Amino acid sequence: MYRKQHIATVSVVMILIVAALAAAETTRKEMHFKVGRRANISIVNQYGPITVKSGIGKRVSVTATSYSGKVEIDQSKRGNRVAVVSHLSPGADADSGRVDYEVVVPIDANVTLHTATGPLHVEKLHGDLLLEGSTANVDVRDVSAGRIHVKTLNGPVTLTNVNDGYVDITSVSGDVSLHQVNGASVHVNSSSGKIHYDGEFGEGGQYSLTSHSGDIEAITPSYASIEVVARSVQGRVDNDFTLQPEHTSFVPRAGSAFAGTVGQAASSVNLLSFSGKIHLKKREQ
Amino acid sequence: MTCEEFERVLPELGDEHSMEQEEHLRTCSACSDLVSDLNAISKQGRLLQAAEEPSPWVWNSIEIALRQEGLIREQPGNGRIHPPKVSSKSRWMVPTAAVALILFGVVLHQRTGIPHPEAKQESPAGVVTADLQTEGMPSDDMQLLNAVAARTPSMRAAYEQNLRAVNAYIRDAEQSAHNDPNDEVAQQYLRNAYEQKAMVYEMALDRSLQ
Amino acid sequence: MTDAKKQQGRLSEAEAIERAKQGDAAAFESLYNLHKRRVYSLCLRMTANTAAAEDLTQEAFLQLFRKIGTFRGESAFSTWLHRMAVNVVLMQLRKKGLAVVPLEENIETEDESPRKEPGGDDPRLAGSIDRMQLQRSIDSLPPGYRMIFLLHDVEGYEHNEIAEMVGCSIGNSKSQLHKARMKLREILKTSRAEKATKP
Repeated sequence: MYRKQHIATVSVVMILIVAALAAAETTRKEMHFKVGRRANISIVNQYGPITVKSGIGKRVSVTATSYSGKVEIDQSKRGNRVAVVSHLSPGADADSGRVDYEVVVPIDANVTLHTATGPLHVEKLHGDLLLEGSTANVDVRDVSAGRIHVKTLNGPVTLTNVNDGYVDITSVSGDVSLHQVNGASVHVNSSSGKIHYDGEFGEGGQYSLTSHSGDIEAITPSYASIEVVARSVQGRVDNDFTLQPEHTSFVPRAGSAFAGTVGQAASSVNLLSFSGKIHLKKREQ
Repeated sequence: MTCEEFERVLPELGDEHSMEQEEHLRTCSACSDLVSDLNAISKQGRLLQAAEEPSPWVWNSIEIALRQEGLIREQPGNGRIHPPKVSSKSRWMVPTAAVALILFGVVLHQRTGIPHPEAKQESPAGVVTADLQTEGMPSDDMQLLNAVAARTPSMRAAYEQNLRAVNAYIRDAEQSAHNDPNDEVAQQYLRNAYEQKAMVYEMALDRSLQ
Repeated sequence: MTDAKKQQGRLSEAEAIERAKQGDAAAFESLYNLHKRRVYSLCLRMTANTAAAEDLTQEAFLQLFRKIGTFRGESAFSTWLHRMAVNVVLMQLRKKGLAVVPLEENIETEDESPRKEPGGDDPRLAGSIDRMQLQRSIDSLPPGYRMIFLLHDVEGYEHNEIAEMVGCSIGNSKSQLHKARMKLREILKTSRAEKATKP
């Protein structure tokens, strides 16, 4: 019994020593910038999460936490443009090169984020967003009135409550989920990633969800007002709505293509896949 | 001429007045004041002409959108893509050139069509397209993967996987467009496929990720 | 601007247009710089909001640049651009539910039609129009009148150009301009009278 207690004590001490060593390497850097209207904020961080939220006033606050000496954080401000870059030393990897960023910006700021692994999280902004991450999980919510460009290779992309803007998402194999996303233009281009849309296709916008082999699922309420075209060359196409036919050159084919209007056809919706399945579902109220 | 008659023609009046109108203005102070006031308002309005400028971010946003949509293209003579040997000074041109050359492939395809996909095809110099003959990667893609491996070895596998997915997309899209060159949807597939390829190249060669 | 300079400017613009069709970034930027002030100014005076005006300016130029390949020179480039800007502004106003006065003859509401002045003892406005005051008065015009006044009296377009931009007849453009000026006269006189009665 004493032996077991001794082992437990030594283990706890070892853990504390390791934690202390880790903490010694952990560095927290805070940066503050005063900016004007529509400031441009850019963060480049190969490894580690970047979280951006809006704050009050015309200040940008960046808190960067690094975990080793193999990464250096560089900052610059020119006029209304702020840039923060994580510079990796030779030999840095995803663990030693990781930096965690917490960023607060004015609500009208334009934000550009570049990462390899991310994840990226942005919320409550009105400016333009350019988010690029190779394998990063990208999450954008409560954003309006801006241009949103998202590019990932296989990082999943989720947009929630995004309105009154222009959305352009390109992901090769990351799944794309849009919840209550409406705007003048919503464009999703995927190769093998799945596309899921749950919203009203509102604001009289142009919606284009296209994939190569990824399945496309669009859920919209019965009162949606859309002009829809859906086609899959090799995949199955299903539709829960009764469509009014339109006089176009588009040739409907049962099971692989349909076109028509619902309601006043205020918005235009294109659902196109090469070999993925497409399903336009009606959300019951 | 009465005041009513004069006011009826007032919207059409230019700088020149007829004798009748001149006579009325000489004798009627109300209409004369009216004309004078309207002229003063018009003259003062001209002084309000464009003094303000939009902030610089407006052009920045326009330029980004134009590049995204492929409307800004590198002018001829900027050279081929050689990803592994790009110097740091010209690296910024490479993804732009990749986009331009891929779009060139789209335009070339739309104008000339493509031969049967099973036939051996000669790709235009520098155009990055899927090589339909081999199961391996096209040489340009291999060079790109080597460049990625040299900088960030851990990302090579992800890029290879995604390049294969995109090449398959281009292959199918080209086939679809070839089967029906007038099919707008097939053209859309092709544009999307090339857009994906351009994005992969751009991300791989992004100078901001050292 | 002298004729020679105007001629030079026109050649430069023509060259920039051709280069922009080829995708030349510098050409796009040159066209943008040539016309940004007038487009922005129009958007700003229609929306009275700098952020909205910048968004509309961006949208107008993007729409133009997307279609630049189809520009054949049938009309002046600036007219084409301002037509896009006008459309973008009108769409925005409609989206916000603001009633844009339909540009048709003989349509007047009681609230919008300028009252006929009884004439008489009011002193002339000439020489006493304050620039800020005029700006505020323009901001309070109904959107349809404001648009025509801005295009003609502020930006200097002719009625035939305005008719093409806005999609109405030349007669309609003249009529709307006259009503806009009459309304402004009424607003300015009322404002002056109010100032005069203040202690």
